[in-house]
Amino acid sequence: MKVKKTAMITRRPIDPSKVLAAAADDAAGGAVLFVGTIRKKSDGKRVRGLSYEVYREMAERKMGDIEAEARRRWPVIGIAMSHRYGELEVGEVSVAVAVSCEHRADAFEACRYSIDAIKGTLPMWKKERFADGTETWVKGAPIEG
Amino acid sequence: MKVRVLYFAAARDLASVESERVPLKERASVGDLAGEIVRLHPSLKALERSVRFSVNFEVAERDAPLRDGDEVGVLPPVAGG
Repeated sequence: MKVKKTAMITRRPIDPSKVLAAAADDAAGGAVLFVGTIRKKSDGKRVRGLSYEVYREMAERKMGDIEAEARRRWPVIGIAMSHRYGELEVGEVSVAVAVSCEHRADAFEACRYSIDAIKGTLPMWKKERFADGTETWVKGAPIEG
Repeated sequence: MKVRVLYFAAARDLASVESERVPLKERASVGDLAGEIVRLHPSLKALERSVRFSVNFEVAERDAPLRDGDEVGVLPPVAGG
Protein backbone atom coordinates (compact mmCIF):
# COMPACT_ATOMS: atom_id res chain seq x y z
CA MET A 1 0.00 0.00 0.00
CA LYS A 2 1.46 3.33 -1.05
CA VAL A 3 1.66 5.97 1.67
CA LYS A 4 1.27 9.60 0.70
CA LYS A 5 1.73 12.61 2.86
CA THR A 6 1.91 16.36 2.61
CA ALA A 7 1.77 19.07 5.25
CA MET A 8 2.11 22.72 4.40
CA ILE A 9 2.15 26.11 6.03
CA THR A 10 1.79 28.55 3.17
CA ARG A 11 1.29 32.21 2.44
CA ARG A 12 -0.27 31.43 -0.93
CA PRO A 13 -3.96 30.65 -1.59
CA ILE A 14 -4.94 27.04 -0.85
CA ASP A 15 -6.56 24.95 -3.58
CA PRO A 16 -8.62 22.34 -1.68
CA SER A 17 -8.77 20.06 -4.73
CA LYS A 18 -4.98 19.76 -4.60
CA VAL A 19 -5.08 18.87 -0.91
CA LEU A 20 -7.71 16.24 -1.69
CA ALA A 21 -5.62 14.89 -4.59
CA ALA A 22 -2.58 14.64 -2.32
CA ALA A 23 -4.53 12.40 0.07
CA ALA A 24 -6.25 10.32 -2.63
CA ASP A 25 -5.19 6.77 -3.35
CA ASP A 26 -6.50 3.85 -5.41
CA ALA A 27 -6.50 1.70 -2.30
CA ALA A 28 -8.93 4.05 -0.55
CA GLY A 29 -12.69 3.59 -0.61
CA GLY A 30 -13.24 7.23 0.20
CA ALA A 31 -11.72 10.51 1.25
CA VAL A 32 -13.01 13.23 3.57
CA LEU A 33 -12.03 16.84 2.88
CA PHE A 34 -12.52 19.63 5.41
CA VAL A 35 -12.19 23.21 4.18
CA GLY A 36 -12.11 26.13 6.62
CA THR A 37 -13.00 29.57 5.30
CA ILE A 38 -13.14 33.14 6.59
CA ARG A 39 -16.58 34.07 7.98
CA LYS A 40 -18.05 37.46 7.21
CA LYS A 41 -19.35 38.06 10.73
CA SER A 42 -17.84 37.62 14.17
CA ASP A 43 -19.78 38.47 17.34
CA GLY A 44 -22.24 40.30 15.12
CA LYS A 45 -19.57 42.57 13.66
CA ARG A 46 -18.81 42.68 9.98
CA VAL A 47 -15.35 41.26 9.22
CA ARG A 48 -13.21 42.57 6.39
CA GLY A 49 -10.47 40.01 6.73
CA LEU A 50 -8.10 38.14 9.00
CA SER A 51 -4.36 38.26 9.54
CA TYR A 52 -2.87 34.90 10.51
CA GLU A 53 0.42 34.64 12.32
CA VAL A 54 2.37 31.41 12.76
CA TYR A 55 5.37 30.07 14.64
CA ARG A 56 6.30 28.31 11.49
CA GLU A 57 8.99 25.88 12.52
CA MET A 58 6.95 24.61 15.46
CA ALA A 59 3.72 24.49 13.43
CA GLU A 60 5.33 22.33 10.75
CA ARG A 61 6.52 19.90 13.40
CA LYS A 62 3.06 19.84 14.98
CA MET A 63 1.51 19.00 11.61
CA GLY A 64 3.88 16.04 11.45
CA ASP A 65 2.74 14.99 14.92
CA ILE A 66 -0.94 15.25 13.91
CA GLU A 67 -0.34 13.10 10.87
CA ALA A 68 1.54 10.50 12.90
CA GLU A 69 -1.19 10.40 15.56
CA ALA A 70 -3.96 10.09 12.94
CA ARG A 71 -2.09 7.19 11.38
CA ARG A 72 -1.58 5.58 14.76
CA ARG A 73 -5.30 5.76 15.63
CA TRP A 74 -6.90 5.00 12.26
CA PRO A 75 -5.92 2.99 9.17
CA VAL A 76 -5.12 6.12 7.18
CA ILE A 77 -3.92 5.64 3.61
CA GLY A 78 -3.44 9.26 2.56
CA ILE A 79 -3.46 12.44 4.61
CA ALA A 80 -2.72 16.00 3.54
CA MET A 81 -3.15 19.36 5.23
CA SER A 82 -2.44 22.98 4.39
CA HIS A 83 -2.82 26.05 6.57
CA ARG A 84 -2.46 29.54 5.21
CA TYR A 85 -1.02 32.54 7.01
CA GLY A 86 -0.71 36.23 6.25
CA GLU A 87 -3.59 38.43 5.09
CA LEU A 88 -6.85 36.67 4.16
CA GLU A 89 -10.15 38.11 2.94
CA VAL A 90 -13.70 36.95 3.73
CA GLY A 91 -14.54 33.74 1.87
CA GLU A 92 -10.95 32.66 1.36
CA VAL A 93 -9.72 29.24 2.45
CA SER A 94 -7.61 29.32 5.60
CA VAL A 95 -7.15 25.59 6.10
CA ALA A 96 -7.81 22.32 4.28
CA VAL A 97 -7.40 18.75 5.54
CA ALA A 98 -8.01 15.59 3.55
CA VAL A 99 -7.88 11.99 4.73
CA SER A 100 -8.43 8.82 2.71
CA CYS A 101 -9.07 5.38 4.15
CA GLU A 102 -10.45 2.07 2.96
CA HIS A 103 -13.72 2.84 4.71
CA ARG A 104 -15.54 6.13 5.22
CA ALA A 105 -16.09 5.92 8.97
CA ASP A 106 -12.33 5.93 9.59
CA ALA A 107 -11.83 8.77 7.11
CA PHE A 108 -14.48 10.95 8.82
CA GLU A 109 -13.06 10.32 12.27
CA ALA A 110 -9.43 10.85 11.28
CA CYS A 111 -10.29 14.06 9.43
CA ARG A 112 -12.28 15.35 12.40
CA TYR A 113 -9.40 14.52 14.72
CA SER A 114 -6.92 16.28 12.41
CA ILE A 115 -8.81 19.57 12.08
CA ASP A 116 -9.46 19.64 15.83
CA ALA A 117 -5.75 19.03 16.48
CA ILE A 118 -4.81 21.75 14.00
CA LYS A 119 -6.96 24.20 15.96
CA GLY A 120 -5.73 22.99 19.34
CA THR A 121 -2.03 22.32 18.88
CA LEU A 122 -0.71 24.56 16.10
CA PRO A 123 0.99 27.75 17.28
CA MET A 124 -1.13 30.09 15.17
CA TRP A 125 -2.99 33.29 15.91
CA LYS A 126 -5.42 35.45 14.00
CA LYS A 127 -6.31 39.08 14.13
CA GLU A 128 -9.75 40.11 12.91
CA ARG A 129 -9.94 43.25 10.83
CA PHE A 130 -13.44 44.70 11.05
CA ALA A 131 -15.27 46.80 8.48
CA ASP A 132 -15.34 49.70 10.96
CA GLY A 133 -11.53 49.87 10.89
CA THR A 134 -10.89 48.28 14.30
CA GLU A 135 -8.92 45.08 14.73
CA THR A 136 -8.43 42.58 17.50
CA TRP A 137 -6.65 39.27 18.24
CA VAL A 138 -9.16 36.45 18.24
CA LYS A 139 -9.59 35.07 21.73
CA GLY A 140 -8.12 31.58 21.48
CA ALA A 141 -7.53 28.64 23.79
CA PRO A 142 -4.31 27.64 25.57
CA ILE A 143 -2.18 25.57 23.21
CA GLU A 144 -2.55 21.85 23.93
CA GLY A 145 0.45 19.69 24.50
CA MET B 1 23.28 31.00 30.28
CA LYS B 2 21.11 32.61 27.67
CA VAL B 3 17.95 31.50 25.90
CA ARG B 4 16.41 32.87 22.73
CA VAL B 5 12.86 34.08 23.36
CA LEU B 6 10.33 34.54 20.55
CA TYR B 7 7.17 36.57 21.21
CA PHE B 8 4.04 35.97 19.16
CA ALA B 9 0.80 37.78 18.46
CA ALA B 10 -0.50 39.67 21.52
CA ALA B 11 2.72 38.87 23.41
CA ARG B 12 4.79 40.55 20.71
CA ASP B 13 2.46 43.55 20.70
CA LEU B 14 2.80 43.94 24.46
CA ALA B 15 6.56 43.32 24.64
CA SER B 16 7.19 45.46 21.54
CA VAL B 17 9.86 42.99 20.49
CA GLU B 18 9.83 39.91 18.24
CA SER B 19 12.76 38.07 19.73
CA GLU B 20 15.61 38.60 22.16
CA ARG B 21 18.29 36.76 24.08
CA VAL B 22 17.52 36.61 27.79
CA PRO B 23 20.25 35.83 30.35
CA LEU B 24 19.19 33.50 33.16
CA LYS B 25 20.90 31.91 36.11
CA GLU B 26 22.08 28.34 35.65
CA ARG B 27 19.39 25.68 36.05
CA ALA B 28 16.62 28.21 35.52
CA SER B 29 13.19 26.82 34.63
CA VAL B 30 10.49 27.96 32.23
CA GLY B 31 8.75 29.51 35.25
CA ASP B 32 11.89 31.53 36.05
CA LEU B 33 11.94 32.80 32.47
CA ALA B 34 8.22 33.68 32.73
CA GLY B 35 9.04 35.90 35.70
CA GLU B 36 12.04 37.41 33.96
CA ILE B 37 10.19 38.45 30.81
CA VAL B 38 7.49 40.16 32.88
CA ARG B 39 10.29 42.01 34.69
CA LEU B 40 11.77 43.04 31.32
CA HIS B 41 8.38 43.91 29.81
CA PRO B 42 5.87 44.71 32.58
CA SER B 43 3.00 44.99 30.08
CA LEU B 44 3.25 41.20 29.58
CA LYS B 45 1.65 40.84 33.00
CA ALA B 46 -1.70 41.08 31.20
CA LEU B 47 -0.97 37.70 29.58
CA GLU B 48 0.73 36.09 32.55
CA ARG B 49 -2.08 33.66 33.29
CA SER B 50 -3.08 32.71 29.76
CA VAL B 51 0.30 32.37 28.05
CA ARG B 52 2.07 29.03 27.54
CA PHE B 53 5.64 28.32 26.54
CA SER B 54 7.40 26.09 24.05
CA VAL B 55 10.98 24.92 24.47
CA ASN B 56 12.67 23.84 21.25
CA PHE B 57 9.26 23.54 19.53
CA GLU B 58 7.49 21.45 22.19
CA VAL B 59 5.02 22.81 24.72
CA ALA B 60 6.69 22.89 28.14
CA GLU B 61 5.37 23.23 31.68
CA ARG B 62 6.65 25.88 34.08
CA ASP B 63 8.86 23.44 35.97
CA ALA B 64 10.70 22.33 32.82
CA PRO B 65 14.43 23.08 32.96
CA LEU B 66 16.11 25.37 30.43
CA ARG B 67 19.53 25.00 28.87
CA ASP B 68 21.87 27.48 27.26
CA GLY B 69 20.82 28.16 23.67
CA ASP B 70 17.23 26.88 24.03
CA GLU B 71 14.59 28.51 21.84
CA VAL B 72 11.55 29.49 23.89
CA GLY B 73 8.26 30.55 22.32
CA VAL B 74 5.91 32.82 24.27
CA LEU B 75 2.54 31.54 23.07
CA PRO B 76 -0.71 33.39 23.83
CA PRO B 77 -3.91 31.29 23.49
CA VAL B 78 -3.91 29.91 19.95
CA ALA B 79 -6.57 30.38 17.29
CA GLY B 80 -5.65 28.52 14.13
CA GLY B 81 -8.10 26.96 11.70
